[in-house]
Amino acid sequence: MAQCGSVGGAGFGATEHRCYTRLDMPTNASPALLEALRRAVGTAHVLHAPEDLIGYEYDATIEHATPDAVVFPGTAEEVAAVVRAANQYDVPVIPRGSGTGLAGGTLAVKGGVIIALTRMNRIVEVDIANRVAVVEPGVINLQLQEALAPHRLTWAPDPSSQRICSVGGNIGNNSGGPHTLAQGSTVNHVLGLQVVVADGRVINLGGRVLDAPGVDLRGLMVGSEGTLGIVTQATLRLIAAAPDVRTLLAIFDTIEAASEAVSAIIRNGVIPVALEMMDQEIIKVVEPRIHAGYPLDAGAVLLIEVEGLAEGVAIEAEAVIDACRASGAREVRSANTQQERDRLWEGRKAGIGAIGAAVPAFYLLDGVVPRTKLPAVMHRIMELVEQYGFRCANIFHAGDGNLHPNIMFDPQEEGATQRVLDLGGEIMRLCVDVGGSITGEHGVGSEKRSYMEWVFNPADLAAMERVRLAFGSVERFNPCKVLPGGHGCASGHAAEIAAHISKPGVYI
Amino acid sequence: MTSPAGPPPNPRIEALRHVVPSDTERSPHGYGIDTVEPLIAFSPDDRHDVAALLRAADEAGLVVVPQGGRTALTLGRPIARYDVALETRGLARVVEYVPDDLTLTVEAGVHLDALQQTLGEHGQYLPIDPPPDDHVSIGGLLATGRSGAWRGHLPAARDLLLGAVVAMATGELAKSGGRVVKNVTGYDMHRLHTGALGAFGVIVEASFKVAPLPPSTRTLAVRTDTLVEAGALAMRLWNAGLAARALSVLAPEIAERLGMTAVPTVLLELAGLEVSVDRSTQIVREANPTAEEPTGTPWPSLRRLHGDRVATVVRLGVPSTAVTETIEAVRAAGCLAWGHIASGAVIGHTASLDASVVERLRAFATERGGFLQLEAGSRALRTAVDPFGPGEVDLVRSLKARFDARGTLNRGRWMEGV
Repeated sequence: MAQCGSVGGAGFGATEHRCYTRLDMPTNASPALLEALRRAVGTAHVLHAPEDLIGYEYDATIEHATPDAVVFPGTAEEVAAVVRAANQYDVPVIPRGSGTGLAGGTLAVKGGVIIALTRMNRIVEVDIANRVAVVEPGVINLQLQEALAPHRLTWAPDPSSQRICSVGGNIGNNSGGPHTLAQGSTVNHVLGLQVVVADGRVINLGGRVLDAPGVDLRGLMVGSEGTLGIVTQATLRLIAAAPDVRTLLAIFDTIEAASEAVSAIIRNGVIPVALEMMDQEIIKVVEPRIHAGYPLDAGAVLLIEVEGLAEGVAIEAEAVIDACRASGAREVRSANTQQERDRLWEGRKAGIGAIGAAVPAFYLLDGVVPRTKLPAVMHRIMELVEQYGFRCANIFHAGDGNLHPNIMFDPQEEGATQRVLDLGGEIMRLCVDVGGSITGEHGVGSEKRSYMEWVFNPADLAAMERVRLAFGSVERFNPCKVLPGGHGCASGHAAEIAAHISKPGVYI
Repeated sequence: MTSPAGPPPNPRIEALRHVVPSDTERSPHGYGIDTVEPLIAFSPDDRHDVAALLRAADEAGLVVVPQGGRTALTLGRPIARYDVALETRGLARVVEYVPDDLTLTVEAGVHLDALQQTLGEHGQYLPIDPPPDDHVSIGGLLATGRSGAWRGHLPAARDLLLGAVVAMATGELAKSGGRVVKNVTGYDMHRLHTGALGAFGVIVEASFKVAPLPPSTRTLAVRTDTLVEAGALAMRLWNAGLAARALSVLAPEIAERLGMTAVPTVLLELAGLEVSVDRSTQIVREANPTAEEPTGTPWPSLRRLHGDRVATVVRLGVPSTAVTETIEAVRAAGCLAWGHIASGAVIGHTASLDASVVERLRAFATERGGFLQLEAGSRALRTAVDPFGPGEVDLVRSLKARFDARGTLNRGRWMEGV
């Protein structure tokens, strides 16, 4: 069950106290397996001592599990050799990038071998004229963006963790980010993949050009959270930077009014490239640290970006300002220089880390609701948070209806962790009940496996299971993730919440 | 019931008649594909009947060919066997449309033109332009996964698809995704089914992210002296940040066919706010003062030619910088040839092609990191040439075995047994 401790933070780097729910039964790798792994990747690239494994037993969630070994392959062929060794000794493999996952996707819940792809971090090629980049999975998202920036190109996925998260992790989770609103999630920006599959083959899916013929296994692989294959190289579709960009900050007295403005903006026919919400709690922790210029007395702010040709940008910005004012915005500021833009975005990108620095612990949720349901859902979430006696900071992709409530708590307080998990479950249930979903960009991992049954019926899940069976990866690749059930899989806390909130009188 | 006369009662077909309402049966005449007629045809209007029919056919060992607008039946290899025609046009409900959420859920038999009309009443549209025109069913356009000139500037249908319900050979209805615009809950099964030509199931419902209609559009044609010049201009315009929805290079013959002067031509469609379209027009004219609005309807004509199912049509995909030389190669093979810069799609249209020529063009595209898909052609050509080219075979076979072990759906359209 839950236990709390103090460790260096994964993911956001700032969280000092972490609460663990142990899911694993640690075992030691057999000497024969270790020998096979050493042959596959070289002795220097295998870790197995308990103290070395500590750093690989958690991601950015509140659970952890200890692997039997961690390997650091340098090539696709070495990844394939590790998979073949795992087949021979019948142990699971779990691919891992930077360990910033927010759903327990890289936890070795059945032990096994973590394949850390951090050494495979080369940008193999940038084809500027054709707007294509070929990268290894360990390349850090921001490093790629920095390599592209001089050519006025970007890769659309821009998660808040982009300073540290890897492209391979983005692909595994079909990650989003603020600019998903206009550009779509990661899958729209992956042309081709080199993948190691469960039989140890290295295969190629998709290609270098849009819409390659054949069954779209590329589209199936993206977002499969390492359960179908391990990406060893990716061919990415880049987009050209727009000629002109305008960033606006709209200031509201309440989060409900800001939520109303979100629909009003889009109803006016303007789809901004980004439309982000930050509430009072988040402003209070961000502003003293970042000095982004968010007013401390605001109920909520919207960070809005429009881009295109300058003439169009001016008109769209006016339309956005009108919609915000009509929804009760107290003030709408416009960033006029790149420096001002960067400062406004710095507050958004550093927001989650700032919470980590300000409170002992927080639970970051990820849910999606139809955009028009935002005002009612935000109202209900704040009611629930108050009922449970917590504080909650909201920083999220409002344009997509993609919520990120951050429930702040002190794990030293008796029963607090369980109550936070219960509240998280209720908020997820609320999302499902208004026609939404349990994750917009963080993935299912081990955290939300049990919630899957809230969204899908047995036939839906059986169809997904068939995919996993067809890929031959059920026991081998990241077992006990994404789909509920599974042979020998621990139930995880989600199941407990599901049971808990299904009791009469508890779940409303 | 329009009970077909002629062949003696077939007990396996009787099994199908038992599971669906009799008024859904149709005469098999008129459902022929490659001159082969099915034994029986059904046009159910309830998804549960679709599922029941698939299960009954699966148990009876019959091969079912789902069909919507019947516009892409020559895409893929000739079907190995054809027992049952399953028409989806009865699945014609708009299930949910929330204009303020920009989301729409429809049944698979709804035709794109009807859908665009519904959306248009709210100033919105589904931003796709699949061949041959808007008289295609939603299920069909998803199953074939084809795009037009807008692709690259706008997303493909698969990128706008938020979720789907699919009837499977087991008789189950399986849902994936949802109706919200951002969702990573479970496997994207709807992506597996998009472009899969019904190999793994029959799409019965689809949810989409839709877009506001651009307030203003304008088509411009720029005449040039050589294809190389046209290609260079098109690349320059692609990098100019225009409010463009299509940017294509036409060989002289196709320009003439569209009613323009028979010279290499850059054809653009600008779309967006009026000021953005005006500014884009200005940028194009600064690059080449001869840019003008063409007469006629070049875009619908290109779409129809791409989707021409009685001709031979190839689609090559190449890097944008290789579009011009690829157009030249396709033209040299005797085709009307044009290409779209942003997506790298080059289309060739002609009456017929030798298999060896198709293979040569495929090699040309492959050498440049691309591919060739045979979009339409004679039965003989589609037998002699793999319409899709090389790809991952083992996993596709493995998926087929898990989803349709008996080969009930569209048997042989992908490859032998799939």
